[in-house]
Amino acid sequence: MMDYVIETHDLSKQFGAFHAVSGLNLRVARNQVTGFLGRNGAGKSTTIKMLLGMTQPTSGSGLLLGYSITDPKQDLEARRQVAYCGEDKQLYAYMTVKQLIRFTASFYPDWRSEVAARLLEQFQLPPGRKVKALSKGMRTKLALLLALARRPSLLILDEPTEGLDPVSIEELLQTLSGLPADGTTVFFSSHQISEVERIADRVCIIDGGRLAVDLSLDEIRQDHRRITFSFSQQPPEHLFDMPEVRSIETNGRQVIVISSQGSDAVVERAKSADAVVVDVVPVNLRELFLGTVQDHK
Amino acid sequence: MMLLYKAWLESRARFLLGLLALAGLSAVFVLFNQDVRTVVTDHDMSYVEYIWRGIFKGQLRDIYVILTLLLGLGGLDRERSYGTAGHTLALPVSRWRLIAARGLTGIVETAVLAILPASLVPALSPFVHESYSWLLAFQFGALWTIGGTLIFAIGFLASVLVAGEYSAAVAALVFLFGYSITTDLPGMEHYLVDIHDVMNGSGPHDISTLAAISVTAAAMIWFGGLITSRKDY
Repeated sequence: MMDYVIETHDLSKQFGAFHAVSGLNLRVARNQVTGFLGRNGAGKSTTIKMLLGMTQPTSGSGLLLGYSITDPKQDLEARRQVAYCGEDKQLYAYMTVKQLIRFTASFYPDWRSEVAARLLEQFQLPPGRKVKALSKGMRTKLALLLALARRPSLLILDEPTEGLDPVSIEELLQTLSGLPADGTTVFFSSHQISEVERIADRVCIIDGGRLAVDLSLDEIRQDHRRITFSFSQQPPEHLFDMPEVRSIETNGRQVIVISSQGSDAVVERAKSADAVVVDVVPVNLRELFLGTVQDHK
Repeated sequence: MMLLYKAWLESRARFLLGLLALAGLSAVFVLFNQDVRTVVTDHDMSYVEYIWRGIFKGQLRDIYVILTLLLGLGGLDRERSYGTAGHTLALPVSRWRLIAARGLTGIVETAVLAILPASLVPALSPFVHESYSWLLAFQFGALWTIGGTLIFAIGFLASVLVAGEYSAAVAALVFLFGYSITTDLPGMEHYLVDIHDVMNGSGPHDISTLAAISVTAAAMIWFGGLITSRKDY
């Protein structure tokens, strides 16, 4: 049976009339890297804030490492085992690197000083320098050091590569991809599809506050196809009303369909309407993402 | 313990600046009393009355009020504007502990700022061939501490209720100013206590009044904590 570190049930958050998250049913499996994709404002950050108890859900429930996110005491227990790197990567500007490490270590009894020392050296962080004097890349590394030295069961990152230079991004992605081997599940939000595709085992796409896709990268590669049809006349309006069709893009008499279960059934349906199959190719994450969030269906 | 350390680091600039200002001005008021008397008070009054008018009732008290109000500002709302609220809230501590650490640090700083002039006045007076009772000075120190705690609590609550650090400071000042005006209205002395008068000893300062002020301050901090504990960040 699959073990989940994050489970939400109809989780919703409303700000006035705006529905930031609507009935989200999300499950994140243990010891994997899961990418949480969505457009700006899709509800990624709000979801993460609800998971960490920073924002209270309007309705629904959720479990973080088996602890209820709506119960402050249980949520506090969960936070002992969860590390979080926020979107803005701001840390206490008035502390030095050494002070911040000492401060954070005091909250975690199983803090690993040797890991902190190793990462301090590896990331070339100056212990005596004030946090406000660090670059964004260095602050991200420091946040990662603070997260990893406590050996968290779950590491949650909100847009971790935002604002980083290519070298820092590369170092960060390499670090993250190796964490499940050490027993740390990684859940990170991003709108950088290429980064998710590089390191994620699984991808969840949120759109309009709802979960639109929850698939492993292997499932996307094996099962999803982009099929291009050419019709001699305007195709029937509801020709591709099929459960396996994820999105449809029509350009005159040419139709591009993204299918989630191979191409056979869709091709059969198209041929019944005198379509010519122009192309059938595997779908990459970018195409799946765009097909999902642009709502072409 | 480390939360207290964090609260101290966050407020130390304001606190140390206040400490320097109060220490410097207290020393000026005492050591240059002959010169200052001619400017700010009546030259004929006794040394004890001069100290009361200049320090415990006068300009220094007003500076102290503003300093304690500023000490009350900050907290998670300010952290949100600086982008560090996420890091703080992800720590495995309850919001009530964060609030308690900030409240405790602020009250201790408020007390230290109150005790400072009360210590300097009797300590420095012999240098200008004057004397000032330690007991009297510490009575004013105690009154300032209790009054200062209420003003700290007003700043604390304003920083929770009003978004934006400057807006919170303005709101707290406006409230305090409005409160002072209200207490001066005819008949209001039966219902409201002017905290400034309590601090300078001219208002009621019996045990029950001081206890009521302390309870009000604690209730305001508790209310600020309650709002913070339920707020979305």
